[in-house]
Amino acid sequence: MSESEAPLLQIRDLSKTFERRYLVQQSNFSLRSIDLELFDGEVVGILGESGSGKSTLANIITRLTPYRDGEIFYRGKEIRSHSPSEIFKYKSEVQIVFQDPYGSLNPRSTIRNSIKEGLRLHQSHLSRQDMDARVEELLKSVGLVSENPEKFPHEFSGGQRQRIAIARAIAVQPTLLICDEPLSSLDVSIQAQIIELFASLIEEYRLTMLFISHDINVVRLLCDRVYVMSDGRIVEYGKTSEILNNPKNDYTVKLIESVF
Amino acid sequence: MPGAASATNASRDDAVLKLENVSIALSATRTTMVHSVSLSIDRGEIFGLAGESGSGKTLLMRTLFGLHDDAIIESGRMTFKGAEISSSGHRKRVRKLLGHEIGFVPQDPFSSLNPTMRIGKQIREALYLGKGISPKSGEAGKIALDLLDEVGISEPELAVDQFPDQFSGGMRQRIVIAIALSQEPSILVADEPTTALDAFTQRRIINLIIERSRTRNLTVILISHNLELLRQNVDRIAVMYGGQLFNILDSGEISEGAAHPYTVALFNCIPRKDMTLGDIRSIPGEPLSAGYGLTGCAFSKRCGLRQDVCDSSLIPVNSALARSFDACLVKAGRQA
Repeated sequence: MSESEAPLLQIRDLSKTFERRYLVQQSNFSLRSIDLELFDGEVVGILGESGSGKSTLANIITRLTPYRDGEIFYRGKEIRSHSPSEIFKYKSEVQIVFQDPYGSLNPRSTIRNSIKEGLRLHQSHLSRQDMDARVEELLKSVGLVSENPEKFPHEFSGGQRQRIAIARAIAVQPTLLICDEPLSSLDVSIQAQIIELFASLIEEYRLTMLFISHDINVVRLLCDRVYVMSDGRIVEYGKTSEILNNPKNDYTVKLIESVF
Repeated sequence: MPGAASATNASRDDAVLKLENVSIALSATRTTMVHSVSLSIDRGEIFGLAGESGSGKTLLMRTLFGLHDDAIIESGRMTFKGAEISSSGHRKRVRKLLGHEIGFVPQDPFSSLNPTMRIGKQIREALYLGKGISPKSGEAGKIALDLLDEVGISEPELAVDQFPDQFSGGMRQRIVIAIALSQEPSILVADEPTTALDAFTQRRIINLIIERSRTRNLTVILISHNLELLRQNVDRIAVMYGGQLFNILDSGEISEGAAHPYTVALFNCIPRKDMTLGDIRSIPGEPLSAGYGLTGCAFSKRCGLRQDVCDSSLIPVNSALARSFDACLVKAGRQA
């Protein structure tokens, strides 16, 4: 991860406003000129309180939300200038794990099918047997060894569902994994399990990860670098240890002081 | 520990709330959800109740204070300020105390205020119900302003004429606390009061509750899943798991020998300031929910110290209402 390399993902001067069309015409800035760089093999944290715009940023990077102001370069190419086939490729290379494991899996699809869906789309050269073998392998690497893949999401607990969502995201061997508050809806003891899972996956798959969280202590454990967001702006960024042990920005100082 | 025994006797007379072998069951099926909880909380004490979801902590507290319609006290005694209130008509009796002697701050600040009533009126109503002060009197208005000021609402004169939706989550939680305090309760029960709030607001609300407790000698029960938050803020902590009371200990003793294996395991799950990735120890398996019908220790399947006795014997209960208590069968066996 040498700094001279071109970044995998580069965001320049990205702004996003959501307009309120009723009653009073009013623009709410959700993101204000965000600059962000992400290099291959890095785990980068985005730290911020609710409403700071960090989820909007994740949705824009994954192309779930359109943007107008600013530029996002992926491997040096602006993602709005992608051709349909490049969009398809981008969507397989950039995967996301959401906060709520109850809402992010199709309730009418067995978990085998949920995990295979990505493989069918993006790795259609695999035979059915190979896909099934891959599903077993993925379930094993997220710690669901003895689980029957023919079960439906409602038969699993929240922590298990989050493991399934992670298996589904890494199934297509993404270059970049975005995790949007993946721990927030889980119990304390399960959070620790998922932290350990992320740590082992980062090691095993050499994942490049954008880890979005409001929890300073989790970011401290997992991330090499961190961006601190407040009110749609990035107020401070740098090496995690430097930022969290020696914050320069008033907001970061206050945030670190408030955490129990 | 002879010293501890005498301290227990001295404090017991001063107890605000005493639970003796209290079990909670669902009223429809008579399934026992919480098993034989015994503890005693002193006047002015800040008491933490910890546990994961499904541990029974919220069910226990809501049933005790008459807020749960589907559950009853199946057996045991609940004594509030020296008077037993757990016998027949428990809910009626405790509902009479609720809002006077007992203040309750629920988790969700968005659904706990009346959305169609101005803040000032809600506080004046609470004052009328709690202390009989006429809502139209100038006195009620003045107390309402003072209370809002006290919980840190800026410009209380404006706030009293506003509706709940004009406030943020943290501000609403302050208003709920102001309403609870307006009736000058002897005990304030806060059920995960900051879970829905961000870090700044969480710190402010917890500080507010602790400060009120210290200045007014108010007894507080703070329910939380975050053991680190409790460790930093409360005097004593009770830890529940799968409907069983596992541990009561001084908040300074969490990482020491007085702690139950589950307390230690739960504490090691929480990422803290001084930890690295290697220090995180997750607990294998899934947390057990209350009410699974039980013999032995609910935690035995996930516990590193598990022995045969854990599945066959009933766990000890804190019948003596001791200040600190450990329900671990393995540790008890070692001492015997």
